[in-house]
Amino acid sequence: MTKPQVLLLGEIDHAHKAWASISEIADVIEPKARSREEFIKECESGAFDKVVATYRTFQSVAITGLIDEALVKILPKSLKFIAHNGAGYDQIDVHACTAHDIRVSNVPTAVDDATADTNMFLILGALRGFNTSMMALRNGHWKGSPPPPLGHDPQGKVLGILGMGGIGRNLKKKAEAFGMTVQYYNRSKLSEELSGGAKYVSFEELLKTSDILSLNLPLNKQTRHIISTKEFEQMKKGVVIINTARGAVMDEAALVVALEKGQVWSCGLDVFEEEPKVHSGLIANPHVMLVPHMGTWTVETQTKMEIWCIDNVRSAIEKGKLMSPVGEQKDM
Amino acid sequence: MTPPIALVVGPIFFEDAKWQALAPEVTLKEYRKGTREEFISLLKSGTFDGAEAIFRSNESTAVTGPFTEEIVSVLPSTVKYICHSGAGYDNIDVEACTKRGIQVSNTPHCNEDAVADLTIYLMIGALRQITRPNNALRAGKWRGTIVPGHDPQGKILGILGMGGIGSGVAKRAEAFGMKIQYHNRHPLPSTSTTHPSATYVSFDELLSTSDVISLNLALSHGTEHILGAPEFAQMKKGVVIVNTARGGLIDEEAMIRALDEGKVFSVGLDVFENEPHVDARLLGSEKVVISPHIGAATVETMAAMERLVIENIKSALFDGKLLTQVHEQLVKS
Repeated sequence: MTKPQVLLLGEIDHAHKAWASISEIADVIEPKARSREEFIKECESGAFDKVVATYRTFQSVAITGLIDEALVKILPKSLKFIAHNGAGYDQIDVHACTAHDIRVSNVPTAVDDATADTNMFLILGALRGFNTSMMALRNGHWKGSPPPPLGHDPQGKVLGILGMGGIGRNLKKKAEAFGMTVQYYNRSKLSEELSGGAKYVSFEELLKTSDILSLNLPLNKQTRHIISTKEFEQMKKGVVIINTARGAVMDEAALVVALEKGQVWSCGLDVFEEEPKVHSGLIANPHVMLVPHMGTWTVETQTKMEIWCIDNVRSAIEKGKLMSPVGEQKDM
Repeated sequence: MTPPIALVVGPIFFEDAKWQALAPEVTLKEYRKGTREEFISLLKSGTFDGAEAIFRSNESTAVTGPFTEEIVSVLPSTVKYICHSGAGYDNIDVEACTKRGIQVSNTPHCNEDAVADLTIYLMIGALRQITRPNNALRAGKWRGTIVPGHDPQGKILGILGMGGIGSGVAKRAEAFGMKIQYHNRHPLPSTSTTHPSATYVSFDELLSTSDVISLNLALSHGTEHILGAPEFAQMKKGVVIVNTARGGLIDEEAMIRALDEGKVFSVGLDVFENEPHVDARLLGSEKVVISPHIGAATVETMAAMERLVIENIKSALFDGKLLTQVHEQLVKS
């Protein structure tokens, strides 16, 4: 019996052994296409007509473009599973996939520690104002002339987490080691056990009473620009905002204005609305902490994520179902 | 009885009102800005005669230079107390003070949280080799060519110097899933506040088994270059080093060599051997996360330190004793 085909969209960087073991149960093929136009043509040519499952990476969007309705429509009918390597899967229109009987998995949990570590790094960087000092030093000015404003300690500050999923809950434990008090807003209130005693507040109260606001929610139609001008106006003056989720949950242009007005004292960002483009108002601001989407960029976590995603592919081939289907498709 | 005289040397940033409130029970004098030469000259000419207590700080070193034998020897004979704002006080010649009957206090615990926070920041930054992507983004190049970093989870953190700051580092590092081991030159007493889950190891074992080494000990004659070429040779390949204590603890030349050879994966530094001058090879290295000695540079912490200095002065002038006298003088007395 011929082995089913698996389409690799993107690169395997670390888990080579695990990926090699897929070859025992499937024939792995890769697209020749290097652009969305070429990919669509390749699909229409029937090149992927035996493909049952695909392993795709965040970066493979450079080849296929977004996995939207237009693309899902022309994918081969044989393709039943998309195993996405990443926690955030906003590049995929899950609704369209469901309509075409395609199941989607993401990679939760494996990302939690590294993303929360990055988040904590940004909280410290923004709150302490480290970037100005680091830049002054690298430009040969020791502490800067005049010295930058003093930073603030996290002890006793209120951290508001928007989106108390795996990453938010992981962040809570780390933030508490720095003496912060944690409150959260989530679509639904969590059990005491899961929330670890963090206070559940309304969205408005989260905005009004948090000293530091951390965005840890997925990007979808409901959450695009959930933080914008109206929300900045409700926040404490001098608030610090951290975003390791997706750039588009926050209105980047409105953030720049809020920073200029002093409404927002500083921010720590790992993600941006139009990555890799960053708003010039942010780049020009030495008081903010910026890193280029590196939340999970460690050897250990990248390896864990690849293995998790490969396990989803294996489960799809061997059992006919994904290991970690995305929330929207849990009842599919 | 005439009020005692207190002299402030260097700046007071936050608690000037509390300093001013010492009057009129205390007569206040000041030398907030100036130069070492002028300060010494004023001391010699008797301008500050009668002063009993001096408020100085790490920041005042930028004004008068360190309180070496040269300055201590020309302080007015009335000076009984030097109340220092700062946990580290290697810029005061304590031996010279003791010989002149001058008691010295520092601010030992105020900065523990702030320095521990910075230590963790530098550690994560170093584990992630954050400098290259940070620089690339600011230069409009998004990430540049970054290598994946490392997670702290499951790694062994070796703390050299398990005092208040070291304990704070241990507590935070544990929340990041690290295993903690530590070494002290002198074994800690059983009543110490050492972090409960930290294992005591020998210096050699700390060097050879730690994935991350954090320096949290004081600089003294016995600890100069405590990390030098022989110590780097003993470390694990790919070790990460963080120093928020004193630059003189590390032989910078040996560290630079170890970085070049790849023995050391990356370092996070807040302190340097010849501050404020920093070796160009460290400044230009993408394996180095650096900050300019800002371990305690927060509004809350600096205010707390200044308040403690003022409390020390009050206690000294009115109760005849300091609240937080430096360790060396307590041991001797």
